[in-house]
Amino acid sequence: MSTPLLSATHLVKEFPVAGTGGLLRSPDTFRAVDDVSFEINAGDTLALVGESGSGKSTTARLAARLLDVTSGTVELDGEDVTRLGRADLRRFRSDVQVVFQDPYSSLNPRHTVERIVTAPLLYQGRTVPGGPRAFTRALMERVGLDPDHSQKYPAQFSGGQAQRIGIARALAVGPRVVVCDEAVSALDVSVQAQVINLLRDLQREEGLTYLFIAHDLAVVRQIATRVAVMTQGRIVEEGTRDAVFDAPRHEYTRKLLDAVPRIRPEWEAERRRNAALASGTTA
Amino acid sequence: MSLLTVRDLTVTFPTPRGPLDAVRSLDLDLEAGGALGIVGESGSGKSMTSLAIMGLQPRAARRTGSVRLQDQELVGMSEAELRRVRGDRVAMVFQDPLSSLNPYYTVGLQIEEAYRAHRPGTTRRVARRVAIEALERVHIRDADRRVDHYPHQFSGGMRQRVIIAMALSTEPELLIADEPTTALDVTVQAQILDLLQEIRRETGTGLVLITHDLAVVSEVTDHIVVMKDGVCVERGPVEQIFTDPRHAYTRALLDAVPRIDDEIGELRAVTADGADAASSRTVPETNGGPA
Repeated sequence: MSTPLLSATHLVKEFPVAGTGGLLRSPDTFRAVDDVSFEINAGDTLALVGESGSGKSTTARLAARLLDVTSGTVELDGEDVTRLGRADLRRFRSDVQVVFQDPYSSLNPRHTVERIVTAPLLYQGRTVPGGPRAFTRALMERVGLDPDHSQKYPAQFSGGQAQRIGIARALAVGPRVVVCDEAVSALDVSVQAQVINLLRDLQREEGLTYLFIAHDLAVVRQIATRVAVMTQGRIVEEGTRDAVFDAPRHEYTRKLLDAVPRIRPEWEAERRRNAALASGTTA
Repeated sequence: MSLLTVRDLTVTFPTPRGPLDAVRSLDLDLEAGGALGIVGESGSGKSMTSLAIMGLQPRAARRTGSVRLQDQELVGMSEAELRRVRGDRVAMVFQDPLSSLNPYYTVGLQIEEAYRAHRPGTTRRVARRVAIEALERVHIRDADRRVDHYPHQFSGGMRQRVIIAMALSTEPELLIADEPTTALDVTVQAQILDLLQEIRRETGTGLVLITHDLAVVSEVTDHIVVMKDGVCVERGPVEQIFTDPRHAYTRALLDAVPRIDDEIGELRAVTADGADAASSRTVPETNGGPA
């Protein structure tokens, strides 16, 4: 059995509660993440799903070392990265990158695409291979953006295109793990489909590993290889995608799956039949 | 009997590059007690439509066409007359319940105030009774205690129930709900959708539901209008739209929806002209600015 690429063991994160505590009394704490453990093998996609307040985003931020844990360990390729210092964190960030939900607020509006996507390399004191211009063009092509637009600003792109810039920035350092925190949640359904396809293609071609945070279970079904269901700071069920969706064991998982609105399967079947008939007659 | 009849509704904004139609020549029909879904992506004009029905379009916009509620024409009505229709015969529910409630007043007071504005001469006592009953109708437990709570003391789903309670307190003929469950968790969404169905069954209130979510309209409404770039591209009974969509855009949209029950090999992506793009690397979106 090989070591998992990214693993979290007994993660706990507590936040002080505002307004409690005083000069002699430490503040009350709220436990957002409560003893969470998971492993992701290279090339897999683990989806952390749950409702608001379940702790899924906090867990992602702990795993990406954007937040410090209260206790527990994060390991990358067998190395404990929980308490890395500044210099070592830089190395860690070359391996683990994050794509956020809202591309407009996570991309500097005053910087061009070229400056945005080369910034991570410069922060890490690395040279840009092939020079910034050629590097940016190649990266933009990889994520399906027109390389001639490398001198444009985020506001000049549509939502889906801006999210592609966010993905390009994450890919710039050549990471092994990409943490997608609700990365397709703000997108229109048609654009969302394109970005999901892009993430899947990148994984297939480059062997990327994803930690995918989402509240939309239908999206998760399209992209995950494994699924962990979180509620109230804990993982209540973890398994392969089809096991969790087709034979959920935990009551909360069943409740969550039942609540998802669905287009009636018999309508779907009839639509496919009609579409097949139509293409048969026109072909 | 027709409850809402919209004909040739057009909302035009002046822009430096000339007038722009946010909604163009839109027709809508809703029978009493019916449920009409308006679906579309961002920029389709669906929310502007819901505002324009009630004359709530931005000041800069020009609205033309006809909006009839039963046999009353709303276009051309004075602001004072319109205010009597809004909240009384037609109620609206928006996406974000927190911004629709005043944080400084108890929810009871806000329901009472809305009710008394439309039923002048109602005593405080009666209005309070109405507020408690309204909260009970949307299944808020301990309504006689909760009526004295402030908005922050309610969860997101409970706040949306309060908004719906307020909207229904005057027993409107028509409820316009613009993305009422979009900000809510999926389990809470299911409860609110059930509530809307129950209200429709029990009170016969007509419903116009505006949403981007095709699965939601498929469960809640009986007729659907698909909008894109301000115009209706397809309309019909819900079953027809979902089993035999005629317009290329509707088909592409249905192909793009991720399904929870199975994995589709490659999600079909929608292009600007409605056809679908095979590769994730082609850039099918139009290169406009953000919506």
